[in-house]
Amino acid sequence: MKYVGRPIPRVEDELILRGKAAYVDDVELPGMLYAGFVRSPYAHARVLKVDFSDALKMPGVVAAFGPGDGGPFNFAPGGKVRYQGEAVAMVVARDRYLLYDALEKVAVDYEPLPAVLDIYEALRPDAPLVDESLGSNVVHDKVYEGGDPDRALKEADVVVEGRFVIQRIIPSAMEPRGVVATYDGDVLTIWSSTQVPFDVRKEVAKALGLPLSRVRAIQPFVGGAFGSKLLVYPEEIWVAAAAYRLKAPVKWVATRSEDFKAATHGRALTLEYRVGASRDGRILAVTGTVYADAGAYYWGEGLADTAAQMLPGPYDIRHGRVRAVAVLTNKTPLSAYRGAGRPEATLFIERIMDHVADVLGMDRVEIRRRNLIRQLPYRNVFGITYDTGDYPTAFERGLERLGYRDLKRWADEEAKRGRIIGVGFSVYVEITTFGYETAVLRAERDGSFTLYTALTPHGQGLATALAQVLADELEVPMERIKVFWGDTAYVGDGIGTMGSRSITAGGSAAILAARRLKEELAKAAEKLLGCRPVYSGGIFQCGGNSVTIEEVVKAVYRGKAEAQLTVEAIYRADATFPFGVHVAAVELDPETGFVRPLLYRSYDDVGVVVNPLLAAGQAIGGALQGIAQALYEEAVYDESGNLLTPNLAFYYVPTAAEAPRYEVYFADEPHPSKHPTGTKGIGEAATIASTPAVVMAVEDAIRRLKPGVRIDKTPITPEDVWRLLR
Amino acid sequence: MKITLKVNGVLHEVDVEPRKLLVHVLRELGYKSVRVGCDTATCGACTVLIDGRPVKTCNVLAVQADGAEIYTADYSDEVMEKLRGAFKRHHAAQCGFCTSGMLTTAYYLVRRGVKSEEEVVEGLSGVLCRCTGYQNIVDAVKEVAGL
Repeated sequence: MKYVGRPIPRVEDELILRGKAAYVDDVELPGMLYAGFVRSPYAHARVLKVDFSDALKMPGVVAAFGPGDGGPFNFAPGGKVRYQGEAVAMVVARDRYLLYDALEKVAVDYEPLPAVLDIYEALRPDAPLVDESLGSNVVHDKVYEGGDPDRALKEADVVVEGRFVIQRIIPSAMEPRGVVATYDGDVLTIWSSTQVPFDVRKEVAKALGLPLSRVRAIQPFVGGAFGSKLLVYPEEIWVAAAAYRLKAPVKWVATRSEDFKAATHGRALTLEYRVGASRDGRILAVTGTVYADAGAYYWGEGLADTAAQMLPGPYDIRHGRVRAVAVLTNKTPLSAYRGAGRPEATLFIERIMDHVADVLGMDRVEIRRRNLIRQLPYRNVFGITYDTGDYPTAFERGLERLGYRDLKRWADEEAKRGRIIGVGFSVYVEITTFGYETAVLRAERDGSFTLYTALTPHGQGLATALAQVLADELEVPMERIKVFWGDTAYVGDGIGTMGSRSITAGGSAAILAARRLKEELAKAAEKLLGCRPVYSGGIFQCGGNSVTIEEVVKAVYRGKAEAQLTVEAIYRADATFPFGVHVAAVELDPETGFVRPLLYRSYDDVGVVVNPLLAAGQAIGGALQGIAQALYEEAVYDESGNLLTPNLAFYYVPTAAEAPRYEVYFADEPHPSKHPTGTKGIGEAATIASTPAVVMAVEDAIRRLKPGVRIDKTPITPEDVWRLLR
Repeated sequence: MKITLKVNGVLHEVDVEPRKLLVHVLRELGYKSVRVGCDTATCGACTVLIDGRPVKTCNVLAVQADGAEIYTADYSDEVMEKLRGAFKRHHAAQCGFCTSGMLTTAYYLVRRGVKSEEEVVEGLSGVLCRCTGYQNIVDAVKEVAGL
């Protein structure tokens, strides 16, 4: 009766498929007020004056808050706005339509300042400063070093230099951010479309000077996040502060256009590299600088650093020096987007491998074969230790299973018929999982179990996966387990769903809780049976007698035996490292430069796969996001800092018509992590691997018409392809 | 303005401001499955069937829908239940935010008798999904359409 490993459809779907899943905008409270924000049309400006007098006269308006209100209402810090869309004031009204009427009546005097949009311009000594207090636009600068890169470069047969630019991505979760808060004079409750309700609770309590025990944060159903909801945003504090001040329920839900500027962007890393290799294709040293276009506030800590530290990828490179620099610009703040530094590291190193292969005239498979790490665990040149795996075997098996060589032959055949098909692949190792996670497990008196997890699923199906893991550990039918999440009233603290950590960190916490609960129940069973019992399948047995879990729990509730019926487990989860090979094929139209993804195949060693149906769902959905990074999506700003892709009509999130046919495989001989679940995480693997596979495929297609072309940026737009062909 | 809307077979008489969008009126009537995901009629999360055709209700004034017969993702009949079963088996929903728009559009496609995968894909391309990569949704609709 093992559940782990079976493709079980989700328990969450009943609510979702009947329209009953309640997202933050579905939270209704009597007397609800609606909040909205006045946002700067300028990328950089001093805020001279905010005048609410006309707005406050508008029908239905209840309150307005601006920079002068102090306390938690810290609008326009330092007296200025630093990106288009930054909030300068807030209005609260009884009705959404009246709210938007009133927002237009708020008069703001701005003094526009020169804006800086480009990282290289921001680095110049005479550049306008986004944050004057820093004296420069460099907000972070750290060097990662190992071995003797200078000597290795000197001794290298070839030195290859280049630059690769990754665009800004707008995460575009289908549900924009939103918050509802209410204060009854006793407890402040906040519903937020967030990945981090525990952080929301902490930050709101701190901002309002309330004890944690009087603040409750709830994560309702969340319509996607992809990293864009893992920070506590100013709006969450402001809406909570307004509810607290007004002693009334207040709701704010961003419009899509608002969300495009007021939710964090992702990627936007540039690598300048200098790499040394031997004539036989061994990479001897990797050096360079990763620049993050951090936007107006340094919220996306560690993105350039992750990209730097993971730059060696799955290759045995002994010498390295990579600088991670974050540069402030007058754009929406940068933060995590599905993969957060690892997709960038992988795209960079995969492009570097191809670049070196080209210079040496070597096959792209062969150069990787010669550099792959042979023995795990392996400490990379920047000190990160990859845990388990067999990269050479998985690489060869992966390419074979995915039919890479057959696809290349097929593309050659199709070329004879005039079709231009490109085939590419990528290899990756990525880092998942960090921190701690909390599980609270309660034995109910009918023999069922309730799990409260600190994980914060928003589409992953973790209620199903956790129930599978727990059912195996408790040896009871899955239907006897109910999983709750996203409420600080259930669990005191935790981190949440991000970084492909959920089932590894939170699932392991659940396993520990189950083990502890079994020990507790065994104590009570021993009292009832008069001998030390053995547990199996929901029954304690010894000396020819037995009691069921249900009987034990009932006895404890009646005071006939002692045991803790609710146990909490906190699990510290160190990093673990998935590995895989992905293959993509695209078709190119030389007339228009348009590239169509045809098929996408993945082969991942992610350790134990708890639910292959859900894991494949992560792989497929993640792949399309990475494909879209390669081909379609880009946040474009003009030289004044106006976002020219301000909504979904201008920013190309792919539709069903752009999606390729996917095939998902998991490694024949997986290498589990050391965590109780044995899992490594599947949430981001395909997003990490798909962009480089597609870039290689596009380059392969272009080279059928024009040999030697090299792609050094994403996205590769039809215009780029068209130009490269000329 | 007073208008009447027949939603999933239930008649509603409502007094609405002329500027009010149909999506907001439906949500206020309690049909929360009709979701707002954008402001440019791009994402399709607000798609319902109006007089048999899929329509993005963020792009329609409620007064324009006066007298209309509307079906939302809350509706239940044999086809909708088949779609629900197929969506679940194929893992066609993740975060669920687009799912209502997908279900109503899929319902239209199945009722209309789609003939090919290409028609399914084209039919669904008015609804954006950021989670699934679409394949499982396409497969679920194909199954119910008998393709």
